[in-house]
Amino acid sequence: MSYYLATQKEIVDWIRRLAAENRLYFPEKHGAASYRFTRVGPGSDIQFDHYTPTVVPPVKLLVPAREELLHFRTDADGKTEVQPSLDTSFRIIAGVRSCDLKGIFLMDLFFREGVPDAYYLARRENTAIIGYACNTPCDERAFCAAVDSLDHTEGADVYITPVKGGDLLVEVKTKLGEKLTDGVDWKPCEDGAARRIGAVTARPEPFGRTFPAALPEISKIVEKNYESPVWDKHVKRCFSCGTCNLVCPTCYCFDVADDLHLDVASGNRTRSWDGCMLPHFAEVGGGHNFRPEPAARQRHRVNRKFTYLPEKFEHGAACVGCGRCGRQCTSHIDIFDIVTDLIQEGAR
Amino acid sequence: MKPKIAFFDFASCEGCQLAILNCEDILLDILNLVELVEFREALSETAPRYDVAFIEGSIHRDEDIERLRNIRARATYLVALGACACNGNVQARSNFVAPAVNYGEVYGDEARNRVQVDPDHWGLWSHTRVRPLDAVVKVDAYLRGCPVVPQEFLHLVKSLLQGTQPFFPPNAVCVDCKMNENECVLERGLTCMGPVTWGGCNSICVNKGYVCDGCRGTLPHANVEAHIELMREHKIDDRDIRSRYRLFMGAEPIGRGV
Amino acid sequence: MKTGTEYYHQLARDTFMPQPGRIVEIADMTAKDRYFRVELEKPLGHHPGQFVMVSVMGVGEAPISISNGPGKDNTLEMVIRRIGRLTQVLHDLKVGDTLGIRGPYGSGFDPANFYGRDVLFVAGGLGLVPLRSLITPVVAEANRFGKITLISGCRNPSEELYRDQLDEWTDAGIEVIRLVDGTENMPWKFGVGLVTEPIPKLKLDPEKTVAALCGPPVMYKFVITALGARGVSYDQIYVDLERRMKCGVGKCGHCQINKIYCCQDGPVFRFSDLALLPEALL
Repeated sequence: MSYYLATQKEIVDWIRRLAAENRLYFPEKHGAASYRFTRVGPGSDIQFDHYTPTVVPPVKLLVPAREELLHFRTDADGKTEVQPSLDTSFRIIAGVRSCDLKGIFLMDLFFREGVPDAYYLARRENTAIIGYACNTPCDERAFCAAVDSLDHTEGADVYITPVKGGDLLVEVKTKLGEKLTDGVDWKPCEDGAARRIGAVTARPEPFGRTFPAALPEISKIVEKNYESPVWDKHVKRCFSCGTCNLVCPTCYCFDVADDLHLDVASGNRTRSWDGCMLPHFAEVGGGHNFRPEPAARQRHRVNRKFTYLPEKFEHGAACVGCGRCGRQCTSHIDIFDIVTDLIQEGAR
Repeated sequence: MKPKIAFFDFASCEGCQLAILNCEDILLDILNLVELVEFREALSETAPRYDVAFIEGSIHRDEDIERLRNIRARATYLVALGACACNGNVQARSNFVAPAVNYGEVYGDEARNRVQVDPDHWGLWSHTRVRPLDAVVKVDAYLRGCPVVPQEFLHLVKSLLQGTQPFFPPNAVCVDCKMNENECVLERGLTCMGPVTWGGCNSICVNKGYVCDGCRGTLPHANVEAHIELMREHKIDDRDIRSRYRLFMGAEPIGRGV
Repeated sequence: MKTGTEYYHQLARDTFMPQPGRIVEIADMTAKDRYFRVELEKPLGHHPGQFVMVSVMGVGEAPISISNGPGKDNTLEMVIRRIGRLTQVLHDLKVGDTLGIRGPYGSGFDPANFYGRDVLFVAGGLGLVPLRSLITPVVAEANRFGKITLISGCRNPSEELYRDQLDEWTDAGIEVIRLVDGTENMPWKFGVGLVTEPIPKLKLDPEKTVAALCGPPVMYKFVITALGARGVSYDQIYVDLERRMKCGVGKCGHCQINKIYCCQDGPVFRFSDLALLPEALL
């Protein structure tokens, strides 16, 4: 682990150099007020300024909206050959905020557990991540501090923190990080750890929204309130459109579907994003739906983030507090509000 | 044996058939797999029986009903092709206007008066009740949208060739938007029919900077109440909300009820 | 932790790639249920109650219960109801055709847990299909168990599955109670009623009884209540649950029942273990 101090310009030039030789993604402005992780080209605008979390988290580069699992071809004798379709190409994701780093860290846990997921892990192993610290909350919907992801740096190969004086503190965290920063002429920084602490302590307090209960308590409260009017309250405005699932950095449920090409001999099997808020998520072939009501689906989603997955993976919360679900919900149903209501309901 | 497929049209712009003809790169591959027996846009034939009948257009007149029933009787599998056939489309807005007013608007007062007094023309008044296909006959599959989505047409054709049913997930357009990483149109201060509308269109209108107008019809689980509330919060008055719902969904129970 | 491209390729093959299975026998069981016997390239090595993912490349994949008892040969038996996209195509397959098989997946029953006990099977409709994978080994070693009873119910006489098999089990000395909800004017020489109805009158020693249940979602609560009323302990009741599944390996999320995954932790559960899972039963 080593530290450097660099100027904004030096970092941007470095990103451009990396992008010239690699597939590199960076949050780029898109639409009126949104950002997208976009492949950086010669004309790309690279700014480390303040931005609200991207529409879809950077984990899309590890779990794409649609990805081919298998491809097949049947020969003239009727024999079918099936092969996996694995993506092992190298990519760099830069400008990843701590909430999204935490999201990727959790996805690593989920996909490594039990039967490891070859597709995710092959991409992950071939992905370098350049993280970037937030010194101010991105907007009023963030609650990263409340779920312990504000200071998450694990998983980043290089982590950048803006420090006093306008310079950027560069923390090289892994061997891959060393490779990415090989040959840079930035100023080595002896007191990097102290400067990083300085930046952390200078942050506003509280940082973003905070829950009226501590994280370990919240798990118990959500679990205890399995039957609660809170579940009905928030879904009154719910469209079951699945946006909250699809934009979540830790949602990884998927659907699998086949496609036959027009030669009627070859085709593929793909998986695509799915979400437990979508009405037919838990419906079986015979037509029985195990979660027909939006309230039951909402309860499942919140429990996955605050009780089911945390318990299984022994981790505080599977919600990273990025605020995407509440920000992008057309009805602004916010998981923060649901959990807060549950806490207050529990206190009553 | 190749399945015999046929295309028919009722009140429509025939744009859906055109959308299919526009898949030039794969059209020949499709024609290798099926036998096209009727296609007004492409050739002209008649056959006693169809394995799959694609029907474009909404149903207006008594003779339309008869013709549609006749096709149904000859078709093993009947597909509603496009918004007119699935949910009545824009022409169903005339369902909310008095027939005489409508006629006067289009043909002028003199023509209207003549038609009103001449019993030979009274059949024309049935024009004013626009119905989707399933108000008249059983429909086996719906290819939604104005126009239809070629990928969905392909999925349907392939499924039938494989001996199974097509499947179109009843998910909102929001799903397509998120898959395409679109900024929600609400962020731009606009409103959208997407949350209550059948997706599967690849959110093409939003991708191109427009909003969803709901051409694919309302979802079975649509939370219309919440959607109307959302529109009101965006300062859309009730008259405009009704108009938005009736633009494409006028012949649906929801469009009628708003 | 293992890494490397070659490892991931192998992992992807092991996880998602189906193995070919050749159909060697097909028989119609009812108007919508068809029996398939499939010859695999190697033995399945399954436990009773496990399932496989069956696929036709280009159409799709779905979880299907294994219906034969465990064995050393390469056989897989299934009964498939024509119900969705994939099963429609499966019904069109012929002897000699190939389909794709992944698995076996899930926990299963261990018949050894039942040694020395009276065994009660309750099957509703298609539930008989997976239960048969357990009934077969139990009947084969009948002397190691106490009294063996099977209550098998279905909607009407035309929907009864495995008729010859039920006769065979009856001949083997098993008490087989065959029921329909109604005869619907079809010939039927057995009982009429719900599968719960014989339970109060069954000759059973609750202390000694272990029960295995499989049927439609609505069935479980009523059967369990009836068994509870007889004093059968909840940790001696096993249920085999059905859920939507897309992967079979605990990732896709569709089969989740509260905090557990049906595909991995189930589909066979001891009822007492479901006490804290309100989503398990209706």
